[in-house]
Amino acid sequence: MAVVDHSVAGIAKPKPDNRQARAGWGLVAPALTLMALILLVPIIVAAVLSFTNYSLGNPGFDWVGVQNYERLFTRSTYEKMFIATFTYVVTVVPISVGLGLGAALLVHSLGRIGDIYKTIYFLPVMATLLAMAIAWEFMLHPTIGMVNRTLEMACGTWFEALPFFANGCAEGFPLWLGDRDYAIWVVCFIGIWQGFGFNMVLFLAGLTSVHRELYHAAEMDGARSGWERFRLVTWPALGPTTVFVVTISCIRAFQVFDTIEAFWPQGGGPNKSAYVMMFAIFEKGIQQNLIGIGSAITMLFLLFVMFLTLIQRWLVERKVHY
Amino acid sequence: MSDLQITSVTKDFGETSVLKGVTLDVKDGEFISLVGPSGCGKSTLLRIIAGLETPTSGNISIGGKDVTQLRAADRNLSMVFQSYALYPHLTVAENIAVPLQMRQMTALQRLPVLGTVMPGARIQKQDIAEAVRNAAEMLEIGTLLDRKPGQLSGGQRQRVALGRALVRDPAAFLLDEPLSNLDAKLRVQTRAEIAELHRRLKATFIYVTHDQVEAMTMSDRIAVMMGGEILQCAAPDVIYEDPDDIRVAEFIGSPKINILPVERNGTELTVFDQVLSSHFYGDSPKVMQLGLRPEALRLTQSAPLLTGRVVHFENLGSEVFAQVALDSDGSRVTLRAMPAQRQSLGLGAQVGLTFDLSAAMIFDAEGARLRRVELAATRAPEVA
Repeated sequence: MAVVDHSVAGIAKPKPDNRQARAGWGLVAPALTLMALILLVPIIVAAVLSFTNYSLGNPGFDWVGVQNYERLFTRSTYEKMFIATFTYVVTVVPISVGLGLGAALLVHSLGRIGDIYKTIYFLPVMATLLAMAIAWEFMLHPTIGMVNRTLEMACGTWFEALPFFANGCAEGFPLWLGDRDYAIWVVCFIGIWQGFGFNMVLFLAGLTSVHRELYHAAEMDGARSGWERFRLVTWPALGPTTVFVVTISCIRAFQVFDTIEAFWPQGGGPNKSAYVMMFAIFEKGIQQNLIGIGSAITMLFLLFVMFLTLIQRWLVERKVHY
Repeated sequence: MSDLQITSVTKDFGETSVLKGVTLDVKDGEFISLVGPSGCGKSTLLRIIAGLETPTSGNISIGGKDVTQLRAADRNLSMVFQSYALYPHLTVAENIAVPLQMRQMTALQRLPVLGTVMPGARIQKQDIAEAVRNAAEMLEIGTLLDRKPGQLSGGQRQRVALGRALVRDPAAFLLDEPLSNLDAKLRVQTRAEIAELHRRLKATFIYVTHDQVEAMTMSDRIAVMMGGEILQCAAPDVIYEDPDDIRVAEFIGSPKINILPVERNGTELTVFDQVLSSHFYGDSPKVMQLGLRPEALRLTQSAPLLTGRVVHFENLGSEVFAQVALDSDGSRVTLRAMPAQRQSLGLGAQVGLTFDLSAAMIFDAEGARLRRVELAATRAPEVA
């Protein structure tokens, strides 16, 4: 009897389960379709195109295998692209995160005046970078720009003891945007100037979640200096925020484009010294209509960003979660 | 271990004055409770003792040394916070070790990697680990040492916070409502454990609470605070049986003390026109207040001083509390009775109440205790 009952139940059971599963798939279908259409398909298309020599408007294309990727790792243009991109990321990320944290701690320790600083530091974030780049271009103009004019005022004073001023006064101050030794650093500077306010706001949000009583506990436990309190309470509490800020900053740094497009619309800085990845994608894929190589750079770009995101996930789950 | 003096400490926050001149001497090894309703300034006083808050005026001294200008980290006091304030990223063992690391190791020895190769760091670390193990054993949290605070229950966190406080040897322990986040059962258990800990350590404990039961059961002395002042500081039984002020009498004791109006007409003391004493020759104001603990009231059939109807009834098993609405003015008094008297206390039942004048406390209209009036009133019949 029991065996018969069991088998009957066994046949009858899957029906509602199946129906539930089907309903489930039906309900997620719109979201799934959208995700596939606007996120996954373009990535797959780009991945496929990166193995071809396709150009927009051509009736067909040829498979070229890994030729595009091979070029990326052999041609000197792309070597410059990697150098420029990594210089930018390695400079801008730590400095803008550090400045953001420092500014957040200082602003947090102030009372009402803090709000004024918050607004001031956040202004560059709100401004359009393209417009700001034009303003910087004027300021950095080698002869009539504000920066070099200000520097020239130091000529004839004790400042000339410094080698930079001695050189500048004798042979003229740097061309900034026109000098291949300075170009990428100027871009880095503007990136930091523009980005740290955003990091500061994120850190400020993180700081509000630090329990005040923990500082009192730290004081009772004998943490005398601000540095000790920071290490014992603030820094660990900001762990999750820091991971997020660093990841966001990295991704934003990899994406730098508008400054370079505004300064050097014709080709990534003097001697391609500021030829960053995003600009390379734009130049190859759009301006020169070399979709294949453009897609290859895009895939590489995606790989970097994916890698960063994975590191972030790993850190969030392992180290900073409590 | 040393005694602690608080001398006329005041604290103003802008316009509002939170402490209005508090003076308190705490003897070495004493367990003293600061108790009062919320907003009475008890937590502020504790934070001033700790050094987390500076007093507007007045002095704090520990072991005869003035520490008013000393910062909290240099006062050698331990504190247990209401929220426990454990470092969430450190394990239980690391949490307990923090006060020792901060005080015994140099900044260089505390560095994450470099610290381990600093001279003396290894021995220091072993000593600290040993002290942490001892503290954990005393509190029976030895098995939790590797967990993070996030993985602990409220009671366990509370023990870790205690462990962090007692791992070093402070001049006094300050506890800020440490039991208020625990459930009722755990609270009773932890209460006993803290009292036992105090007996074992023989250390000075200053314990802030709004719960009079905690204060009554654990302390050597209770300081009842209200409106930024200490109204009375005495042993628990004195506070209960012999309060100086009507506010102390009303705050301590559950159910609350009954207050009845007393009048003096010539040589007669009356409550609702019932004569309490007809030969009163003492000197007293005309209008006074009479305080009667629920256990001072008795049920009676013959010549009751007060009559009323039972309006509420609580049976606690071992004893019974009845609220009686008085016929004279409708005010309610609470009566404690034995379970055997339950039948006569049914809802709506008409009852007669009486009491001994010697069990009553008399206060003036402002609430100050009138001990001389009590003495005169109780002695009067013998004289006559």
